[in-house]
Amino acid sequence: MMPADDRRWEILEKVGAYAAGELEGEEAREVERLMYERPDHRRLAESYARMLVMLDTLGNEPVKVPSAVVGYAVRRAYVSAFMRNAETFIGALGRSYLNALVYYLGLRRESYAEPT
Amino acid sequence: MRASGGDAGAFRHLVREHSGLVYRVALRILGPQYAQDASQEAWIRAWRNIENFRGDSAFSTWLYRITVNTCLSARRKESRRKEREYSGDELPFLPEPPGVDGDPEAAALNTQQREELLAALEHVRTEHRAALVLRHMEGLSYAEIARILDVPEGTAKGWVSRGRAAMLVAVTEQRYDDRETGERAT
Repeated sequence: MMPADDRRWEILEKVGAYAAGELEGEEAREVERLMYERPDHRRLAESYARMLVMLDTLGNEPVKVPSAVVGYAVRRAYVSAFMRNAETFIGALGRSYLNALVYYLGLRRESYAEPT
Repeated sequence: MRASGGDAGAFRHLVREHSGLVYRVALRILGPQYAQDASQEAWIRAWRNIENFRGDSAFSTWLYRITVNTCLSARRKESRRKEREYSGDELPFLPEPPGVDGDPEAAALNTQQREELLAALEHVRTEHRAALVLRHMEGLSYAEIARILDVPEGTAKGWVSRGRAAMLVAVTEQRYDDRETGERAT
C-alpha cells in the first residue's frame, strides 16, 4: 500500500503531466476521470495550466544582457588567443635561434647522401 | 567553425549572437544575484572547449549544456537548498488573477507575479529546476533536455515532472505565506 503522501505526490505529477499535454491514451483518460470525479483535481489541473502559461510568458520575456558579460568574454578570448599566438611565435623563434647556434658552433654534422 | 580553430574574432560573433541564451538560462536557474558571474564563467568554458565542438549537435545545444553545467556546479558549491515539501491535505490551488479573461494585455506578467515565480523557482531542487526551465521556459524537447543534462530521456521527464509539481507547491505556499504576512501586518 502506497503511503498517503506518495499517492498525493503521484497525483500532483500526473495532473501536471496532463496539464502540460504530455499524457496520451489510458493515462490521459485516467486523469480526466479523476478530474470529473473530484473538483479539487480539476482545480489542480487549472492551477497547473495557469502556472505553465506564466512560466512560458516569463520565458518569452526579453532579457537584457549586462554589457560586462559580453565584454569580459570577448576580452578573455582575445587575450587568450594573443597568448597562444605569442607562445607559438616565441617557441618558433627560440627553436630557430637554437638551430642557428648549433649550426654556428658546428655541433651538428650535416650529412648528405651521396648520389650513387 | 572558425571559432573552433581558435579565431577570437569569430568567437566574438558567437558571444554577441548567443549571449541572450546563456544569460537567460543562468538567470532562471541561479537568479539575478549569480547570473552574471555564471554567464561569464560559461563563456570562458565555451572558449576553452570550443576546439572540441565538432558540429555533431547544434551549437545552441552545446552551449546550453555548458551553461547548465556551469550553473549546476555553481549551485553545488552552495549549501543544498531544501525543496519545498508537499505536506498539506489539500491539493495546491493557484487562483486565477483578476482581469485576465479575454484581455491579452493581462497575459503579461506584472512585477509581483514575476517575483513570485522567480522566488518559487528557488525552492525547486537545482536539477529539477534546470529541467523545468529548459522544458517550460526554453521550450526544448525531452530528447534535447536529456542531451543537455547528460541523462536518459526518462530521467529528464522525471525531473521536469518533479520540478513542475514542486514549483506549483512553492508558488501556492508562497502566496499563502504572503497573505498571512499581509494579514498580520494590518
